[in-house]
Amino acid sequence: MNILDYHALLPELLLAATVIAVLVVDLLPVRKAWVAVVGLIGLFASFIPLLTLGLCDSLSFCEETGVRTMFDGSYTVDTFSLVLKGLFIGAAFVALLMSVGYLESGRFWEGEYYFLLLASVLGAVVMASSRGLITIFVALELVTGPTFLMAGWRKGDARSNEAALKYFIVGVLSASVLLFGMSLVYGVTGELTFPGIREAIVGAELGSPGFKDLPLLNIGVLFVLLGFGFKIAAVPFHFWTPDTYEGAPTPVTAYLSVVSKTAGFVGLLVISYSAFADLRNIWGPAVWILAATSMTLGNLTALRQTNIVRMLGYSSIAQGGFILAPFGAAVASGATGAQLEDAFFATVTYLIIYAFMNLGAFAVVIAGAKRIGSVEISDWGGLYQYAPGLAGLTLVFFFSLAGIPPFAGWFAKLVMFSALISMDNAWTNVLAVIAVVNSVIAFVYYSKVVKSVWFDPVPEDVLSGEARNVVVSPALKLALGITAIGVIAIGFYPPLAANLGEMTKTFVAGF
Amino acid sequence: MFFAVTVGDWLGEVENWVFAVLAIAMVYAAIRVVTTKNVVHAALFLVIALGGSAAIFLLLGAEFVAWTVVMVYIGAVIVLFLFGIMITRAPLGYETKLSHPRRVRIGAALASGALFLLIGGAMLDAFGDDPVPAAIDPTRTSDIGQSIFERFVIPFEVVSFVLLAALIGGIVIARQDPTVEEEEVLQ
Repeated sequence: MNILDYHALLPELLLAATVIAVLVVDLLPVRKAWVAVVGLIGLFASFIPLLTLGLCDSLSFCEETGVRTMFDGSYTVDTFSLVLKGLFIGAAFVALLMSVGYLESGRFWEGEYYFLLLASVLGAVVMASSRGLITIFVALELVTGPTFLMAGWRKGDARSNEAALKYFIVGVLSASVLLFGMSLVYGVTGELTFPGIREAIVGAELGSPGFKDLPLLNIGVLFVLLGFGFKIAAVPFHFWTPDTYEGAPTPVTAYLSVVSKTAGFVGLLVISYSAFADLRNIWGPAVWILAATSMTLGNLTALRQTNIVRMLGYSSIAQGGFILAPFGAAVASGATGAQLEDAFFATVTYLIIYAFMNLGAFAVVIAGAKRIGSVEISDWGGLYQYAPGLAGLTLVFFFSLAGIPPFAGWFAKLVMFSALISMDNAWTNVLAVIAVVNSVIAFVYYSKVVKSVWFDPVPEDVLSGEARNVVVSPALKLALGITAIGVIAIGFYPPLAANLGEMTKTFVAGF
Repeated sequence: MFFAVTVGDWLGEVENWVFAVLAIAMVYAAIRVVTTKNVVHAALFLVIALGGSAAIFLLLGAEFVAWTVVMVYIGAVIVLFLFGIMITRAPLGYETKLSHPRRVRIGAALASGALFLLIGGAMLDAFGDDPVPAAIDPTRTSDIGQSIFERFVIPFEVVSFVLLAALIGGIVIARQDPTVEEEEVLQ
């Protein structure tokens, strides 16, 4: 009987301990803010072993180095999973900071909320290491399960109830489609781990044909893709997104659009690149279509929105399309070697930058909604005159999302386009053109908000309110600070994100 | 091609007869679950469908899984359904307001029929005339326990967190919030 590699599992163990600690502290007669503090400390603590694992080569107490594979290959700790775990924990840290002030200002159940949020993060962290069908499915359930409940946290509000119910039903449906696809894949290959499935598909023994051309396997693969399509809200599986994003409490929306969505992307990347690597001809074109439709429909619909949360909801669908673009194009065009590594690098780098700028944009919306008392874009007019700091941050995050230098977004767009163009064939060039057109459309609606904030007059009814004296909570300020520094620093010095993306390339090295 | 096994061989095996009976009962029950207009009846038809799947697991020698299906699904989940219907005072009788218009129902029937043909065809194509391996040793429960705590320990622990989160979140969503006055009294 093997002894567990506790060092490799330490982030998960610390996070699990934090989840329980949060529950216990919630029982104590202390202010609920302490529960959040415990959660923040726990997130910080579980970030440390990620560093020691990443720097294992140069640390004296670290015995094992390289990729750590556990449980018959169904759980792997490599640089890819470490980078993504860091991203999940960091994004959750910011999301938790955003929640503190929001929850205190209304009548919410606080302790339980922090517990659910941390439990969901634990799922995301496990997800990054999962290399088996069962592990990845269960991890995905732990990511999404708590968020169904968090979406309905404004219990008295009918829109929040609708958001939770819609999200729950779509979530359950997608989970069952995913599970059905997985059962077909398992039924055909007889393997649960991704390396095992890949071998079975190719045919492990020399001369055996494998299952590559079996229709049943292809149906299973498409079902798995469809299940993840719901999770990442790719068009045409996005219909739940706007209502859920609008109805859920805004910090939950931020969490959904960053952590939960990234978890879906990670699952999709891992399962496609490791288990279904040799079925690229099946899922490559499908991902290509998802990327193209998500970009186009997401942006065109975002253009018409007057509600800033709904607009960000559609914009995150479109951003999802940008993230999928290099991934779909690379596999659809049959690229190999260095090109695939570039595509993978572009996807991961985009995910990292997207986390900063989207969380920041939602933090601005929370702060703005509190001061102005409205999330209609027209009511945000003239924000510059009475809240210059917030107006500045609006400019930073929305221009970053649009991809304008010197804010981080430009680099995300750059790596995406360079990955597309370097492959240079019909598939990728068409997708690159679609992406260019969409970037222009996206600029229109992002800049509409910025223009309203900086140049429009203050609407009458907003002026008269007392809302202008509302103080933004320190936790939210910290969240705004972290994301703003991140977006500006990466914008001026892109290697901050690029080096992390670079490290994950090893994941596709053997492709 | 698909049916290389002759009909005579098929009829000669008792297992096949048992399977056929179970399969027909399950399909009938499954169709009735969605077509019946009474929620309680739907739950009870689900019992038949799940019971059939438990029996098929028994046929395959997977005793532990079979009894888990009986205990967890029939014993707990369906009973919870029925309790849920009772506690929420949902209308017990025939509910017509929930029914979709005819064209939606026809569309749904066509879509599910097409999906059935697609998956069914692919299944036949993949496993068509493969016989189920004749002598499967019954899976020993101790082996299952061993693999849960060795190879599958991570999913096992993760599932326990899913359940804990569902439990706590469910209570928060379902319970009645104290009014502002009650809260002041508490503090």
